[in-house]
Amino acid sequence: MRRRAFLIGAAGAAACSRRPRLNVYNWSDYVAPDTIANFESETGIEVRYGTYESNQEMLAKVMGGNSGWDIVFPSTEFIQPMLEMGLLAPLRSERLPNLNALEAPFRRPPWDPELRWSVTYMWGVTGIAYQSGLNPHPEAWRDLWDRRLAGKITMLDDPPEVLGACLKMLGYSLNSSHPAELEKAQREAIAQKHLVRAYLNAEARDQLVAGDVAAAQAWAVTAAQAMQAASGKLAFTFPRDGFARFADTMAILRESRRQEAAHRFIDYLLRPAVSARIVMAVQTATANGAAQALLPPELRGNPVLYPSEETLARGEWFEAQSAESQRLRDRLWTEIKSA
Amino acid sequence: MKRLRRLFLAPTAALLAVTMAAPLAIVCLYSLMTRGAYGGVEKPFTFENYTRFWDPIYAAILWRSCWIAAVATALCVVLAFPLALFIARSGSKKNLYLSLVILPFWTSFLIRTYAWMFLLRDTGLINTLLQALGVIHEPLPLLYNNGAVILGLVYGFLPFMVLPLYATLERMDPSLAEASADLGARPLQTLWRVTLPLCAPGVRAGSLLVFVPCLGTYLTSDLLGGSKTILIGNLVQNQFTTARDWPFGAAASLALMAVAMGLLLAARRQGEEML
Amino acid sequence: MSHVRRRLLPLYAVGAYAFLHVPLLILAVFSVNASKFTVWQGFSLRWYAALAQDRDLIEAAANSLIIAVVATVLATVFGTLAAYALWKRVSGWISGALYLSLATPEIVTGVSLLAFFQWAFRFLNLRLGMHTVILAHVGFSLAYVVVVVLARLRTFDPALEHAAMDLGATEFTAFRTVTIPYLAPAIAAAAMLAFTVSIDDYVITSLVAGVDSQTLPMAIYALARRGVSPMLNAVSTIIVIGLGALVLASERLRAR
Repeated sequence: MRRRAFLIGAAGAAACSRRPRLNVYNWSDYVAPDTIANFESETGIEVRYGTYESNQEMLAKVMGGNSGWDIVFPSTEFIQPMLEMGLLAPLRSERLPNLNALEAPFRRPPWDPELRWSVTYMWGVTGIAYQSGLNPHPEAWRDLWDRRLAGKITMLDDPPEVLGACLKMLGYSLNSSHPAELEKAQREAIAQKHLVRAYLNAEARDQLVAGDVAAAQAWAVTAAQAMQAASGKLAFTFPRDGFARFADTMAILRESRRQEAAHRFIDYLLRPAVSARIVMAVQTATANGAAQALLPPELRGNPVLYPSEETLARGEWFEAQSAESQRLRDRLWTEIKSA
Repeated sequence: MKRLRRLFLAPTAALLAVTMAAPLAIVCLYSLMTRGAYGGVEKPFTFENYTRFWDPIYAAILWRSCWIAAVATALCVVLAFPLALFIARSGSKKNLYLSLVILPFWTSFLIRTYAWMFLLRDTGLINTLLQALGVIHEPLPLLYNNGAVILGLVYGFLPFMVLPLYATLERMDPSLAEASADLGARPLQTLWRVTLPLCAPGVRAGSLLVFVPCLGTYLTSDLLGGSKTILIGNLVQNQFTTARDWPFGAAASLALMAVAMGLLLAARRQGEEML
Repeated sequence: MSHVRRRLLPLYAVGAYAFLHVPLLILAVFSVNASKFTVWQGFSLRWYAALAQDRDLIEAAANSLIIAVVATVLATVFGTLAAYALWKRVSGWISGALYLSLATPEIVTGVSLLAFFQWAFRFLNLRLGMHTVILAHVGFSLAYVVVVVLARLRTFDPALEHAAMDLGATEFTAFRTVTIPYLAPAIAAAAMLAFTVSIDDYVITSLVAGVDSQTLPMAIYALARRGVSPMLNAVSTIIVIGLGALVLASERLRAR
């Protein structure tokens, strides 16, 4: 009975709705507990909020063009592919008055200079988190190949990140598509493998805090959380030879029939106060300059989340790969894992 | 007779057609296509995905997966049998004991695995206990190796072995065991010669329900194996997610299914189908 | 000597249950841990309080239960009927399809179902939702039910049914009054299996779930992505205690 009710309800909801609706598909743990509720009470729009764990998962769902979602949060290197697949709706900047709140570099980002398709949401970097008792401190990617740390090193379980670290170590670009360079990077990764304890993403946090792991390739967010828990025992460094920068953006799907409401939601998230609340809840780095000004000093001044300009200059943004390059990288990753 | 049988099979047939046959056809189709630039599939039909499989690296992956799955299944049989026997003989409390076996598995698999990781870590409970008792001085590397993966698999699939075993043991006539004892057999002989053969269908059913999913596992090897070893389940998972090579993923999974089917068919006995 | 031997089995059972339940104990202990991380920092019920306020998580749990119950009922009924039919006479197609269903890795089932739904829905004007999830769950649970029930059927003497029919019962009545009671333990075991498989499924569910159908595993994975939160432990502990109480209660009722 419930099933039929659901079927009818779904059909009914698709046809007409009593309250205006909006379906938002975001990464998990990316808004504050009251963000959605406040938007709902302010605008009267009912928000259906779903989460995903990876860009590929989101892409698989929306690729068909009839997923039901209105807003998604693709990472920057996915905007180009989604554009080519005709999945995104153009943004009307006149409907987004809070666009000025964005920090200057994110108002004309390299992946979408006119912000026609996406609005930058949050960004992050990858570096090395380590036990502060380590002597000498890790300073470059090469230090994660240190034999003395055997069995106590973790790398991210993310092919672009691992290959990226190897490429940077060899002095190449993060986004290199040269087979020769990539294969050299792969050999480094395979050479490191027997020293690696595990390939971990967020799970490294607990292990760093517990002391099982001496040095880890980690996202700044994870490191910041671990450092907060272990007060003083952990440290973080932005490798000398360069590191990865990434960002997530807000975009409206072309299939959405609620463009107006979607714009309102994006504008809402751009509000400095709202963005600041999210940052305080999630502890990440926002692209919203005005929001940064509202942050408490210990968050705004956290060198892990908001490194200095000269540090950031060493970073390199992830870019979309061509099909053959992606294929090569995937094959190399499979071989690394099978070694 | 025929009509009843057809009626009974109809809903299952319909469901299988929708949830199994049609999607399978899609998988076969995908395996012959080329990967799209950013995921999905594209027109040029090709056998390349299958020829790519001849690389020895993939054979190694398949072999490793089979070996781990076999060990896990064998351990499951050994560990589940006494437990199923106990439950089958426990009279009125049968359902209670059965529920107690299943209960842990109504919580999330992910959380249980994290609980095991907590137990097995270098600074985890087991190591801390052993060191406190003075049994060892250095923490044992209990996590991030094949052993941990097998442990995780056994833990995760034990009920799948217990339930079918219980279902067959429960109806076993105890007088058969008595007769065997009366004829002078020792308890172990009775077990080996009488009880075990009688519950063979249960063992086979359980092995099927354990071995095949173990073959395709990826989460356990990711979490407990430290994502260092790639099993065929990881390979397939990877192709459909990070690597975005759906056609190759489809071909790899067809290979996996072929191996599973092959083993199932080889293990079949006349008239003793599992399905 | 036989004294010890008689105790061996129950002793082993205790050990086996300990093995199965120790992780649960860990979960329960850390669900009342004040700290967010796996270092003990004092007793606290804050995670349960947070849970009570998390409307999404509660809804996800409700969805999961609904889906699991519906899928279990359907899969058990259809599966039992199918097992009986297969026992009477082998059907190569159905058996083959069921074998394949078991042999297919979850990610493949999920992706192929998604592709199939996306293609089919172009003509049907439907969306992904609870119905697609339930359909998927029934689909993959069927094989488990059939395997378990069939294993039991192999030990059933068809002469019993024939006797009933000789006494005047129709085939269906014989099935209903003779076979089903015999199969009862297997049906119960199969239902439990189907329920377990359904309530914990993540991969397939996340792929075919629609806008309105967030389930508990999806919510849990989402929470766990940024590092384990004790709210998950609280969820698990509640589930175990809740379902455990249900099980004990039903035992008491039956014993009456």
